[in-house]
Amino acid sequence: MFSFVCRGIMRAAIHTRRISKGTLPGRLLSSCDGVPAGLADADTVFALSSGHGRCGVAVVRVSGPASATALRCMAGLTRSSLPPPRKALLRCITDAEGKEVLDRGLVLWFPAPHSFTGEDSVEFHIHGGTAVITAVLQALGSVPGMRPAEAGEFTRRAFQAGKLGLTEVEGLGDLIHAETEAQRRQALRQMSGDLGRLYQNWSHKLKRCLAHVEAFIDFSEDELIEDGVLNQVDTSVCNLQAEMERHLKDERKGERLRSGVQVVIAGATNAGKSSLLNTLCQRPAAIVSPKAGTTRDIVETALDIGGFPILLSDTAGLRDSPDVVEREGVRRARERVEQADLTLVVVDCAHLLTDAQQAVDVLQTHLRSVLSSQEQPETDRCLLVLNKSDLLPECERQKLDREMRRVSGLPPVCLISCHTNDGLQDFLTVLHSSVKTLCGDPLSGAPTLTQARHRAHLQQCVAALAQYKRHRDTDLALAAEGVRLALTSLGRITGRVGAEEILDIIFKDFCIGK
Amino acid sequence: MLTKKRPLPWSVLSLLSRRAAHLARQQYDVIVVGGGHAGTEAAAAAARVGAETLLVTQKIQTIGALSCNPSLGGVGKGQLVKEVDALDGLCGRAGDWAGIHFTILNRKKGPAVWGPRAQLDRQRYREFIQSELLSTPRLTVLEGSVEELLVTEPNPEEPGHHRVTGIRLANRSQPITASSVVLTTGTFLSGALFMGQTMSPGGRFGDAPSSAGLSHTLRERLGLRTGRLRTGTPPRIVKDSVDLCQAQLHLPDTHPTPFSFLNKHTRCKPEEQLPCHLTTTTPGVERVVKESLHLNCHIQQDTKGPRYCPSIESRVLRFPGRSHQVWLEPEGLTSDLLYPQGLSMTMPPDMQLRLIREIPALRRAEIHTPGYGVQYDFVCPTQLSPALQVKSTQGLFLAGQINGTTGYEEAAAQGLWAGVNAARWALSLPPVALSRTESYIGVLIDDLVCRGVTEPYRMFTSRAEFRTSLRPDNADLRLTLKGSEEVGCVSSLRYREAVRVRDSLQDALAALHALALSTNKWRNKLPGLQMSENKNTLVTAGELLQYNHVTFEMLASVFPESLSPYTEFSQRLKIEAVYKPYCDMQKKEIERIQREENMSLPQDLDYFSLPVSLSQEVREILDRVRPSTLGSATRLQGITPAAVVNLLRYVHGTNAGLKGRTHTNQPEQKEERDEERCATKASLPQ
Repeated sequence: MFSFVCRGIMRAAIHTRRISKGTLPGRLLSSCDGVPAGLADADTVFALSSGHGRCGVAVVRVSGPASATALRCMAGLTRSSLPPPRKALLRCITDAEGKEVLDRGLVLWFPAPHSFTGEDSVEFHIHGGTAVITAVLQALGSVPGMRPAEAGEFTRRAFQAGKLGLTEVEGLGDLIHAETEAQRRQALRQMSGDLGRLYQNWSHKLKRCLAHVEAFIDFSEDELIEDGVLNQVDTSVCNLQAEMERHLKDERKGERLRSGVQVVIAGATNAGKSSLLNTLCQRPAAIVSPKAGTTRDIVETALDIGGFPILLSDTAGLRDSPDVVEREGVRRARERVEQADLTLVVVDCAHLLTDAQQAVDVLQTHLRSVLSSQEQPETDRCLLVLNKSDLLPECERQKLDREMRRVSGLPPVCLISCHTNDGLQDFLTVLHSSVKTLCGDPLSGAPTLTQARHRAHLQQCVAALAQYKRHRDTDLALAAEGVRLALTSLGRITGRVGAEEILDIIFKDFCIGK
Repeated sequence: MLTKKRPLPWSVLSLLSRRAAHLARQQYDVIVVGGGHAGTEAAAAAARVGAETLLVTQKIQTIGALSCNPSLGGVGKGQLVKEVDALDGLCGRAGDWAGIHFTILNRKKGPAVWGPRAQLDRQRYREFIQSELLSTPRLTVLEGSVEELLVTEPNPEEPGHHRVTGIRLANRSQPITASSVVLTTGTFLSGALFMGQTMSPGGRFGDAPSSAGLSHTLRERLGLRTGRLRTGTPPRIVKDSVDLCQAQLHLPDTHPTPFSFLNKHTRCKPEEQLPCHLTTTTPGVERVVKESLHLNCHIQQDTKGPRYCPSIESRVLRFPGRSHQVWLEPEGLTSDLLYPQGLSMTMPPDMQLRLIREIPALRRAEIHTPGYGVQYDFVCPTQLSPALQVKSTQGLFLAGQINGTTGYEEAAAQGLWAGVNAARWALSLPPVALSRTESYIGVLIDDLVCRGVTEPYRMFTSRAEFRTSLRPDNADLRLTLKGSEEVGCVSSLRYREAVRVRDSLQDALAALHALALSTNKWRNKLPGLQMSENKNTLVTAGELLQYNHVTFEMLASVFPESLSPYTEFSQRLKIEAVYKPYCDMQKKEIERIQREENMSLPQDLDYFSLPVSLSQEVREILDRVRPSTLGSATRLQGITPAAVVNLLRYVHGTNAGLKGRTHTNQPEQKEERDEERCATKASLPQ
């Protein structure tokens, strides 16, 4: 994925040069003369660009040279009759072969350069259900030359086409950071399940295949590397290819996709996290007791907050514990926080000192320790819940409430009591607005998108393995190239594999002596 | 036809070197220290680029010596030899002159990974290199030991930045000045030789250790980080004492393929070639290794040795219970010795003898020279620029084992490139870089300066991500034209040949694509042709050539008038046709990387204070490695796409990438002088 992102970035930079002579800071100005013309991306990309949750209509955007093809295939249009530019047209939307009707919706055609990205673009306005979105994304993925968009790709293409100003590009780095983070969380969620294990297993097998082919190429002339090594690779490649093809055809998805905004309750032991869960879902879903460390495993429940689907998880209190089971619970809790779209950090307000400044310091330290697993703790993806307000004397409570509204440098703070439900309404309002913002972001909690991306990469992987078979007996260098491409495609899901890693396997498995 | 000139007889060599002893001048453009594979290529390349060059070596007699194995090339390494040759370096032609057993390794595995290799005659190799150097214009060879590297005091405005001014020799009070110095000291930097329990200072058996002054300057004055590596060499065995009947015979190719693009034949006639022999270790070998462990201090040290060229001790310890291969290689046409490849060892000499006699073919073998181990310092190569210049010291270039690599070919490749850039620096020409997208030399240098080394670095084809494009057959097309037009290190003879080859190949490919017939007609013309395509589609001769069993000769026999002029290139055309679709696929990725490499990052950027959002971790990585281009920053572990976007604002770039970068730090006065010099140079008749 990284290289994809960077590829576009470079083009973006190059474009900066072309479109903006004289307005850039001096240093950037000197860059990139002599770059060949015709930098347009050959790939066509697609993505869900509307939010999810309570939405009647979902918008899927396509950009790139194959947009028109996609429109013709999927909206049942013949060669001659593309719809008039920028006019909505009601069509049956089908799969790429035009066989199965997926939905009935609006299609819009934006020929270059009059589109958001400056490239040929198409928008599909379809019904907002998960099944329909998934089907349309998968259909797009099967059109030749199409792939799911990488983080920030639409914006970047817009920038390349000169559709965005220079000030907007200043934010491009941050945007890409945010989007890659969202994708990383998304991938983490999927990778932690059985599917993740399956992909990791494939990646592991492919790495060994590549290492063994490379060992045969680089060393077999001088070393004792038996021909049997290649036969093993043949078998592995065959099996992998068959497994992946079966997986791609399998309509049962194995795992229920956990859709919805992922909200995680975290904090120290006995802060009242489970009570908060029970309060929010209005039933005793989690056991509560005055004993610290009651919750050990994750307790998960699906909720509807103001019409937006959320998946609420209660986690074990974070502390060092000698108990093996509790330690595992804490590990899971930290893992879940890392995958969260929104974290509710619960604090027992009795622990806060009366002095406001000190309280802020304590809370900031506490936040850092709870969110430590996140690379850069982002306060905008977090709410502070000060629980047990009923235990404070009224004057203290009001003072704390006042102070907390005044301070800066903290995420939104809510003072509540799960016991008396005091402050709960205000908290729900804050939670609702956070969830609403998150739902407007097409990247959070949209597993379909990740799924479409995975499919595309797996398809490339299978195609590359065919290259191995084709050249196995005639040109081992080209055959190895096939395995390498396959590993690169799979690596976009499971993480990049470098040459050094392959060499490590070679030296572990073979005695190379010359 | 073989080479431009034949090596000179020894008497002439000694005359020439005596001339060298009376140094004509105290000032040179480039001084190269060391006469190994890196040093000789560096000196020759610097002189080719046009610099007045001085090569200083401890012993003129050992210039071009093969300290370890008597062979050149191999898988991955052969590609490097072809590329050095394409840039008009020495080692390819020297190999053709000295080779006595030529093979193309991996012949069955596809042309991208063919590994041209030759066993060499040590004597002939040395003769060739010495006569080349001593007859190279602008190059002086001097015997001497370098006592000190002379550098300026650090510039007060840029703490830690120095400039090289020359060297001081032992026994000579007068320093010799130069704008550039290339250090190619091999294993001599704080080198120590190990055999059994004895240790003595030195970098090669029989040679004096180098002065401690040099490593002091590098470490203490210039503050360069160094590390320590080890290597070893096997005992040499008396040929007559070996029972070769007990070993498996390995014959060379019947038609030796020369390394050099300039040569049509090798010096050695096909029938004169010598065979190699293969034998294997026995359980007895393992026993001796284990018994001698307490007497073997080299093997007990934890200095990093190579994983792929380990001593017999480490092979036996890491993979016990197996038999390991031992190649018995000839040392020369007239040599009485054999080189047992795979038996590098450092145990005491009596144990060495016991060990080799555990192998049936060596039961009565005598050792001529025992094996030994070497430990030596290397300079962490992340402190170098892609021009192989020390980033903190202008004019100081390093090449070869001093950068943590192993192997003649790796050394030669770096030597050539360091020599080119040292000369360009001295002549006030901008530095040049080779990309990993266009050459194995680029892969080697990029890996070194971006990733550094943790063990001796050796080239493998699997390190080159664009292996299908970087083939041994097309090294001339990739590098000779650039080497002449942009770098200036290629003779006009070689350039004209490369242009002729390029034009012929282009014409031939155009002719192939112009010939289109229906599949039926092809079947009629070429009986036995297996084609699955539809009968009605037209197939070009170029497409047909991609089929396994179709050769260019077959097509030329069908269309003699248009294709027969190109039969000279039939093998290259076949390879081009088969690889074309895959090279085209890689082209996009290659272009992307090249664009990134055209955006250079200022070397003086203070990453800690940049007012952009970069994590502390990213800042630390960037500060430590100081990537010279955005391309190399992108490849660093731990650099996020967002970080790369943020760095864009600090990018410099020009038409040729690095062009002009390092010169901004030079004093104005020098630039004026440079202009004068360039003008003088331009007016010289070429």
